[in-house]
Amino acid sequence: MSRVSVPCHVKGTVALQVGDVRTSQGRPGVLVIDVTFPSVAPFELQEIMFKNYYTAFLSIRVRQHTSTHTPAKWVTCLRDYCLMPDPHSEEGAQEYVSLFKHQSPSMTFPKWLSHPVPCDQSAPLIEGLPEPSRVSSEVQQMWALTEMIRASHTSTRIGRFDVDGCYDLNLLSYT
Amino acid sequence: MLQEESDLSLVIAQIVQKLKGSNLYAQLERQAWASLQRPEIKLESLKEDIKEFFKLSGWEKKLQNAVYSELNVFPLPSHPAAPPEHLKEPLVYMRKAQGSWEKRILKSLNSMCTELSIPLARKRPVGEQKELLNKWNEMGTDEPDLSLFRPVYAPKDFLEVLINLRNPNYENGDSLSFRTHLGLIQVPLKVKGIPELKEFFVELGLTTGQLGIDDSTQVPPELFENEHVRIGQKVLAEQDSAAAQQYIRQGSPTALRAELWALILNISSQPEDILYYEQLKTNVIQHDLLVDSLIYKDVKLTASNDDYYFVFEDYLYQVLLCFSRDTSVLGHFAYNSASPPKSYIRGKLGLEEYAVFYPPNGVIPFHGFSMYVAPLCFLYHEPSKLYQIFREMYVRFFFRLHSISSHPSGIVSLCLLFETLLQTYLPQLFYHLREIGAQPLRISFKWMVRAFSGYLATDQLLLLWDRILGYNSLEILAVLAAAVFAFRAVNLMEVTSLAAAEAVLADLSTLKVMPLLQIFLFATVT
Repeated sequence: MSRVSVPCHVKGTVALQVGDVRTSQGRPGVLVIDVTFPSVAPFELQEIMFKNYYTAFLSIRVRQHTSTHTPAKWVTCLRDYCLMPDPHSEEGAQEYVSLFKHQSPSMTFPKWLSHPVPCDQSAPLIEGLPEPSRVSSEVQQMWALTEMIRASHTSTRIGRFDVDGCYDLNLLSYT
Repeated sequence: MLQEESDLSLVIAQIVQKLKGSNLYAQLERQAWASLQRPEIKLESLKEDIKEFFKLSGWEKKLQNAVYSELNVFPLPSHPAAPPEHLKEPLVYMRKAQGSWEKRILKSLNSMCTELSIPLARKRPVGEQKELLNKWNEMGTDEPDLSLFRPVYAPKDFLEVLINLRNPNYENGDSLSFRTHLGLIQVPLKVKGIPELKEFFVELGLTTGQLGIDDSTQVPPELFENEHVRIGQKVLAEQDSAAAQQYIRQGSPTALRAELWALILNISSQPEDILYYEQLKTNVIQHDLLVDSLIYKDVKLTASNDDYYFVFEDYLYQVLLCFSRDTSVLGHFAYNSASPPKSYIRGKLGLEEYAVFYPPNGVIPFHGFSMYVAPLCFLYHEPSKLYQIFREMYVRFFFRLHSISSHPSGIVSLCLLFETLLQTYLPQLFYHLREIGAQPLRISFKWMVRAFSGYLATDQLLLLWDRILGYNSLEILAVLAAAVFAFRAVNLMEVTSLAAAEAVLADLSTLKVMPLLQIFLFATVT
């Protein structure tokens, strides 16, 4: 299954504030980021991937079009998804996150279901361990991922620390 | 495939990948081939029969132990998009702080190099090599002039760096408010409270038998000790790492400790391991490193002056000098926020094919480093085994005590855990010490950085390190530090200066760690 990233335009954050006055004291806790998809061709969104920076809870709303006659509607796909279990501490503060289609049943763009279900259920938990033979066949599929991991690890030279028998050094370098 | 299942498959794939390069894999392959001769292995049920053979011959257990070891040591694979730095340390500001600290150390080492006109590394002339080889077992008799060498840093320098750590996204404010921390550590890491610690350390509870408490002379051995020893022997017979780790939470009998630790750390002295150690020894003979002098100085200043450890001086050189040459240690930098110092062969500055790490293992020793090895000398007398155990202890635990990271067992978290426990459960004491200019962490920091080595009596230290292994966590160091303050609270409330507070806490050699921990966690009214 090949995955392709969809070009999207991420607008700057807008703080949700009451009234017009922008004060530095009254920092709001809710920021909104608009994401638009310039390409019009229909696609099936599988995964949203991002790096967190001190956001505690995430909600995703989607504006979906039906036919050209009915106006577009805003639909909540994800409500208060917890990214930081304790917002006053560092847990999850700078983590990489993936949100998958199965976590929000109604997420298909730009087709839409007539009665989207608000997704409050958490992803189903597995009971126990998966079938070993099934896992081993899936390991084949995971091969690409592990290759990527292996390539990204700093290569450690096991064994000799010198270069052709020479370990005559300059000073330590700061990079 | 669901996300959780794919995560598990990823972990499995990664462990398989890692073990494929190991000695165990080669051995298992050899065993599988050899087993084809056996009558019970039938062609039509080849896979199942070989699996059964592995189970009965104990090879499956060895594989289980290896997998368990990997799970304990390596962090779970993070998001596929996460770069390697993220695995080392997820928080950017901590990575930056570690980078700056490292730069300071490198500068310090470089200036020592230029001031003393001593090269970082040099090849020993043949005569000198022969001399060192002859003296290998008694390097302690050497009295080289080390007066010009100074340790690269001491724990208190490192503490200053930790005190100045700030999260740029967290507003502390300079003036005291409800947002500032009352202790020295100002970063908002998550630490466990006593209820969570009670759950985490449940086997240390009042109703569970402990070595260090229930084996004292007044307690009849039939009540706990005999049975515990019997179970320990069974665990060793089964050669099960996971069972050993669970067992040792209640402490290890002295006679079984060496074997239990080796089992938990998954160390078995194979001929290859002894050969590897001999190779390291050859590297020490051939090349002289500047860090060797730092090691000599450290041993002379610390372990040699210690009543318990001075007898092991020669062993310490044999372990630490080899440790500096061991490139396999470089592997742990994948999950250590620190990075190994880099250098270039003379005259080849900037050419990547002439880039090397210095020292070869990437670890620059600091003042007190040799105290990580010293207690192990009580358990292991064969140099290559002692070496393997120390190396594994270092890449699992000790490295976290002197690198800046957000890991729950990292020194920053331990400091914050200590301060939080003290503030929450001994607020009067904490306030009093703060008022007299004796921030508690200034006293307890050195204990935690050394994992209490050199501060406790050896038998007590080994009981403490049993629990480090059993729980695969260093948090117990912070809990013990708080428990020590709680124990001496009455005296501490009466002091009026930092020096006086230090004096109250100068001598920990009479303390019994397990009762202190048990009382603090389970018997203090909160």
